[in-house]
Formats: sequence, structure tokens, C-alpha cells
Amino acid sequence: MKTFIQFSIFMLIAGLAIVLAIILGDRGAWYFAWLVGTVMIVLIAAVGGALLDAQDERAAALALERKDGKH
Amino acid sequence: MDIYASLQVVWWLLLGVLLIGLAVMVGMDMGVGAILRYIGRTDLERRVALNVIGPHWDGNQVWFILGGGAIFAAFPLIYATAFSGFYVVMLLLLWTMIIRPVGFEYRSKMPSAGWRSAWDWALFVSGFVPMVVFGAAIGNLFQGVPFHFDWTLTSFYTGSFLALLNPFAILCGVLSACMSAAMGGVTVMGGAEGAIAERSRKVARLGWALAIVLFAVGGFWVAHMQGYVLNQFPGAGVAQTPLQQVVTRADGAWLSNFHAHNVLWLLPAAGFLGMLGSLFSASSERPLLAWWMGAVAWIGVIGTVGCALFPFLLPSVSNPSQSLTLWNSGSSQLTLAWMLGFTLVFVPLVVWYTSWAFYVMRGKVDPDQVATDEHAY
Amino acid sequence: MHDITVVDLSRLQFAATALYHFLFVPLTLGMTFMLAAMETVYVVTGKVIYKQITQFWGKLFLINFALGVATGLTMEFQFGTNWSFYSSFVGDIFGAPLAIEGLMAFFLESTFVGLMVFGWHRLKPGQHLAVTYLVALGSNLSALWILVANAFMQDPVGAHFNPTTMRMELNDFAALIFSSDAQAKFVHTSIAGYVTAAIFVAGVSAWYMLKNRHMELARRSFRMSVLFGVLSTAGVITLGDALGFVGAEAQPTKLAAMEGLWKTESAPMPFNLMAFPSQENQTNYGEVKVPYVLSILVTHSLTGTVPGVDVLEQRAEERIRGGIPAVSSLKMLSADPKDPVAMNQFTTHQKDLGYGFLVKRYADDVTTATDEQIAQAAKDSIPHVATMFWSFRVMVLLGLGMLAFFVLGLIYTLRNTVQYKRTFLKFAVWMIPAPFLACEAGWLVAEIGRQPWTVYGLLPTWMSASTHSVGYMVFSLIGFVAVYTVFIVIEMYLMVRAIRKGPDDGNGAAELDVGDLSLPASRKTLAEA
Repeated sequence: MKTFIQFSIFMLIAGLAIVLAIILGDRGAWYFAWLVGTVMIVLIAAVGGALLDAQDERAAALALERKDGKH
Repeated sequence: MDIYASLQVVWWLLLGVLLIGLAVMVGMDMGVGAILRYIGRTDLERRVALNVIGPHWDGNQVWFILGGGAIFAAFPLIYATAFSGFYVVMLLLLWTMIIRPVGFEYRSKMPSAGWRSAWDWALFVSGFVPMVVFGAAIGNLFQGVPFHFDWTLTSFYTGSFLALLNPFAILCGVLSACMSAAMGGVTVMGGAEGAIAERSRKVARLGWALAIVLFAVGGFWVAHMQGYVLNQFPGAGVAQTPLQQVVTRADGAWLSNFHAHNVLWLLPAAGFLGMLGSLFSASSERPLLAWWMGAVAWIGVIGTVGCALFPFLLPSVSNPSQSLTLWNSGSSQLTLAWMLGFTLVFVPLVVWYTSWAFYVMRGKVDPDQVATDEHAY
Repeated sequence: MHDITVVDLSRLQFAATALYHFLFVPLTLGMTFMLAAMETVYVVTGKVIYKQITQFWGKLFLINFALGVATGLTMEFQFGTNWSFYSSFVGDIFGAPLAIEGLMAFFLESTFVGLMVFGWHRLKPGQHLAVTYLVALGSNLSALWILVANAFMQDPVGAHFNPTTMRMELNDFAALIFSSDAQAKFVHTSIAGYVTAAIFVAGVSAWYMLKNRHMELARRSFRMSVLFGVLSTAGVITLGDALGFVGAEAQPTKLAAMEGLWKTESAPMPFNLMAFPSQENQTNYGEVKVPYVLSILVTHSLTGTVPGVDVLEQRAEERIRGGIPAVSSLKMLSADPKDPVAMNQFTTHQKDLGYGFLVKRYADDVTTATDEQIAQAAKDSIPHVATMFWSFRVMVLLGLGMLAFFVLGLIYTLRNTVQYKRTFLKFAVWMIPAPFLACEAGWLVAEIGRQPWTVYGLLPTWMSASTHSVGYMVFSLIGFVAVYTVFIVIEMYLMVRAIRKGPDDGNGAAELDVGDLSLPASRKTLAEA
């Protein structure tokens, strides 16, 4: 259920973003948009990868803490 | 001379530069493919030879693609008429040519000896056949091609494809295959050591020796061939179609430009000297010098062809008056000007970063590294 | 005169080779930027796992890239070999972007792809990263120039007809490059490539997670590809709409066919969710309509309308009648470019020249064209509706499906639980064909929708083809099918083999080299030799 709600919210955000982009750009400066968009897509994907490493490290640290706590 | 006529001449020269770039850069890679099975006796030797051109063949091949694009942009009527007229041989060229990228990439992906041997044959075909077709196409220009236009300028080719493989065309085809094999040999000499370099040297010497003979025979043949004379046309730098000119044929006419301008004899001379120079430098183990001399040989040969044909680009044998010249088959002034702008900016840029790529990958290919590196071909 | 069988075979050959080429191109467009993103993390964080990730996906990329290059080569020459009249008629405009593509994009891509593969030992990490970015830029720039050229076929701006040279000539280079169609189509296509690469990487990563192999590589690749994909899919949908909006004005027949709009409707127009169009009866069976939506979609308003097939056919008929004197006067000009009477007549009617050519198919001397022939030519001006209608819907449905997939994947990967969602992972593997299908459907919509023209409103397809014999065309078709079939079998085999083998990180040794088992046992392998 939680997943479904999150899914709906994310889909709604995506839908709104698309509608907004459509309203803003009937005949937009799409070449420019491509340049900005591509840089953004590449960087966000890169940051997302790095973030996973951070998540992993935190999870490992948490697990270690718990283990230490037991002793 | 007005601007349009100057642009047309400039683009005629650039067409020559392009064909030379194609012949030198693509020709050497093709040559390596064609002689691969001879110079490399073991799998590792063949892999070394492939890795000599490994980092560069793809970039070099762009000369061929650019050749198609630039003829399309600068001489659309040539692009349309020649490639549709030469249909079957064009397909032969394309089908054999496209095996190359796949062959380079896939050959060493599997350990099976049968697999690799099959790809080596494929690389031989895709190195040898396109160079023969390339030369044969040029040979056919001297003899004229059977095509004509209707009133809309739709072209009709009326010959059979077998007629394109006539004796003179085959001579030109073998000449270009010899030159590319020799260049391939010189290239491998520069990037490899030991037995494989030694065999490449033999190929280079034989290739250049044959090329010298064939170029000389071809020259005498052309001197006695029926050439084309442009008697009447709307003029250089005037917008026109090929429907408005008078062209006749005459014995020995292909040499008239050389008789009119003696300085042009330097071009065939450069062809012979380049071949000889490359032969001797290869013999004395100087591959870099041999490579540059080979490039001079190509400049001489293609320059000779261009100046003999000038102003013709694609003569028609079935209706000589509809022959295509650089005056009636080029693009409009605006297109030629824009394209010249792009060329002036991007060709130096391309030469610069291609040189950097060669600099980064300089030196001999190390067989041990080829054997262990999973990225190698 | 043209043999219509030859024209049809030429179309078949072009479509087959272009669709085939377009199986490999989108993955190249997207994969190069994905590789750039992966390598960026490696260079910035210095973590070796990202170098392994980049090199592994780079290997798969190259298997695909080789076929993209090979099949692209034949495309560059096919305009000349098979579309000879087209090439001379619009080469003055169309050839330029193709040549610039070679100069500006192909050299960049191809020179640096060599360094990308061979340069790992010779370049510093920062230099190698720059090389990867240049490959990505090069491949996408080549898409840019190809689509500038294609946009001219869809919406011929920046050019005029020159009766002296009997062809179209350039008069505004900037208009050609910055045409609305070129802008929207380039971004739509390039980003569709990003989506393709993202689904591919996500699907293969999901497969590793299902097999519990290479988890470090798979989780990271999945995370990056989902982020890459969710943003790209939103972009593709946005640009798809922009393309429809631009196309509605430039190519009303394409839009009418796409939407199955036989009769012109008043605003606000309903959208056909489903229908079974019949070209013969000019009507739809089994329509399911949603009110208002079509007006909003294509005109971005509730009051906008677009013409249906009925109105468009009528307009075509008028223009054909206007085009007949244009063609007949052009014939006189061909014989004598200075004929003042012919020139006068031509100038008056030249805007309808292309429509005159449309009827020339049925009456070689257009002045003798009968009413039936003109009506037939007008009917020809509408592309095949059922094909258009369904190709478009398949593409849109797949696009929306991929958006939903990425959003769900994003939730799972952000929670770091994706590796446990087995059903989702299985689904992810099955998603791999989706973007390829969507891309092919998109090509069909764009190019079938342009029919019966090669250059919209100016040059009919039937006149554009080379005048080959049927025998030549059969020969070349068989040749292409044979060569390309062998290629794809080998490519798929090597790709699956490389995926099964996985990266050399020591976490997947269990299934190493399954592919070798299928080889004949008698063949001595070089490893033994």
C-alpha cells in the first residue's frame, strides 16, 4: 500500500512536470533544452550512484553499531 | 572569375583532397585486411597486425562516409547518377565494406580457431574487394558510362553491370588494390616487430613494384583512348543543367590538359616518385618515411586522374552531350559557400585530434599485452 | 517512366535497412552518455567498482556499436543508389547536413571511440573521461544532423525551387537547422535513445540480481539507469507532444491519419482511444472515444480543430489542378530555360508543382489527366491510416509503460530493496524489448506518415526512386536480407554470451563461458593451442 501511494505521488509529479513543460514550450528552444537536460540527466544519474555508496556505508555503520551494542 | 565559378573549382579541389584522404587512410586499413592472412601466420601475429590499426580504423573509415556525404552535398547530380548507375558494384562495395567493422569487433571475441579463421577471410574480402571496386569505378570514368537524362533530369543507366568490369577498369582496380596492400604493409611495419614486420616489408615492396608497372601501363592506355571535349556549354559559374551542352569524343583528348599546362606533368611524376620512394624506404626499414611517400604516390595518382578528366566528372558514353562536368553538377553557390565554411573550420580540427589520437597510441604493439588485454581486438 | 514495383521494392529496402539500422542507433545514443555518467563517478570518487562498471557496459556497447557503424555505412549511400532523382532534386539542401554530420560528428565519435577502447592504459583518468564525453557528444551530434536532414523531408523550410537548374536550392541555412520540426525531433529521438539505454542497463542488471551475481555492479547500475531513465522518459513524452504540435501544422495529413480522423470535427474534438480504420470506406469501426482530448493534445486549446481526411483530400485535388500547368510549363523550361511565356506560367503555379507531380504518376502528360486520375492522386495524398493509427498508439503506450516502470524502480532502488523484489526484477528483464519496439514504431509513424511524399508537398515518393529493373531490386533486397540476418544472429549471440559471462570481478565464476558449450567439440580452441 505504501508503495502504491508513493508510486501514485511520483507518477503525479512526473505527469505535472510533463504538462508544465508542454505548456511552457509549444515551440520551445529545444536544442538548448537538450543541452541543459542532458547535463542534468547525466549528473543526477551519477549522483544517484554515489548516493547508493553512501547508503551502503551508513547501513554498514548501523549494523556495526547494533552488533557492538549487543556485546 | 566570379564567386560561383571559384567555389566550383574549390570544391573540385576539395573533392580531390577527400578522395586522397579516403585512399590513404581507408586504403591502408583495407590493405592490412587484405594481407592479414599472409603477414600473420599465427593467431597472435594476426591480432598484433589488427591492433596496429585497431585504435584508428574507425576514425579512418569516416573518410569514406564523408566521401559519400560531401559528394552528395557538393555534387548532388554526381552522387545521384554515379551511385545508381554503378548499382551492383556499389552494393558489392558496400556489402564487403560493412563486414569490416563487424570483423574487427567480433573476431577476437571468441576463442574458436574456426571462428577467427572465418573472420580473417572476411577481413581479406572486405579489404581487397572495395579497393578493386574503387579503382575500377575511376577506370570507368575514363571510358564513359552509359547513362542519359529525361526532361525532369531523372537518370537512366542503360549498361549491364558486367560492362563495368572491363579490362581497363580491372587494371585500375588492381592498381588501387596494390597501392593499398603496399600501404597496409608499410603501416604494419611501423607498428609491429619481428617476422610479421619482415613479411609486411615484402608485401610493401612487391605492391609498389607492381603499382609502378600498372600506373605506367595505365598512362599509355589513357593516352590512346578516346577522351571527351566540351565544345559548347552555358559557361563556368552559370546555373545550368546537363541538357544544355555539346560534347564530342576525340582520340587522346584526356591528355589535352597536360599538353596545355606542362606543369601538370608533375602529378604523374609525383605518383612514380612516391611509389619508388616508398619502395626504397620500406627496403631500408624506414616505415614512417615509406608511409609518407606512399601518401605522395596517392596524391600523384589521384591528381593525375582529376586533371586528365577536368572539367568532366562523369562522362556519358551513350549520350556524350549529357556528360556531367563540375560546371553542371555542383550545388548552388549558397550551399557550396556554407559547406566551405564548415570544411575550413572542421577539417583542421579533425586533423588535429586525429594526430593526437595517433600520438597517444604511438609505438609498437606489444604481443604480450594483446594476448592478455580483453579490450584488444 | 518509373516502374511502380521498383518504387515499392525500393521503399521496402529503405524501410528494412533503416529500421534495422535504428535497432542499434538508440542504444548508442544513450549508452555513451550512461558510460559518461558511470565514468564520472569513477573519476570523482576514485572507487574502482565504477571503473569495472564502465568497462563492462562499454564492452556490451561496442558489440552493439559495430553493427550501428556497419549499417550506417550503407544508409549514407542508399539515397544515391536507390533514390537517385530524390538525391539530385534536393541534394543541394539535403546533402549538406549529411556531409556536416561526417565532418563534425562521425570523426569525433569514431576517432575517440578508438581511444575509449584502447586508451585505458595510456590516458590519465580525467583525459579518458573527456574522451568518453566526446564520443557521447559525437554520436548525438550525428543524430542531430541526420534529423536536420530528415526534418527537411517532413517540413521543407529554407529552400526554393530553381527552374533553371530544375531542383530545390537552399536559401536560408539557419531556417533549415533551426526548423521547429528539426528541434523537436532531434531531442525526441536523442532522448528516446537515453530511455533505450536505461531500460537495457536496468534489465541486464535485474537479471544479475535475480541470479544473485555481480550484486555490487548490478545494484549500482540499476540505480543509475533508473534515474537516467525516469528523467529521459519524461523528456521523451514532452517532446513527443511538441512534435505532434509542430507536425499538426506542417503535415495535416500525417496527423489526420495518426488519429483516424476521416471527417473534420468541430471543437472540442474527441480522441479515438481505439478504432479499426478502413482506408477503402474511409471510416473507423469499433471506435472508443474520449471527449475533448484531441483538441487539447494537438492544438493545446479547447477551441482548436484540425482538418480531417475529407477536407484534406479536397484541398489536395485543388492543388493538383493548380499543379498541372506548373508541370507542363516546367517541361518547356527544361528545353529552353529562357522561354518567357513558360516562365510566367511557371511562376504563377509553382507553389503546386509537387501536386502536379502527384498526378503525373497516372498521366505522363499531365495536361491530359482525367477527373478520375486527379481524384485518385488526391486519394493518394492520405497515408495509410490503420498503420499510422496503431503504430502511434503502440509507441505511446510503450512510452507510458516505461515511465511507470521507471517510477516504480526508482522507489525500490531509493529504498535499497530492489534486489528482493523478484517479480519486479523478472518484469524488468522482459522490459528490454520495449524501447526498441517503441523506437521502430516511432520511425514508422514519422516516415509512413510522410507518404506519398519524400519531401512533403514537393516531391512524391514514386518519382524519387532510381530507375532500376525489378531484377536488380530483388538481387539487392536478397543480399541485404542475407547479410543483415547473419549479422544480427552473430550480434545477439555475442551479446547474450557477454552478458552471461558478466564482468571479470570474480563474483560470477559459476556460469563462466556457457556460450562455449554450443561450439562443435571437435574444434580446437586457441586456449588449448
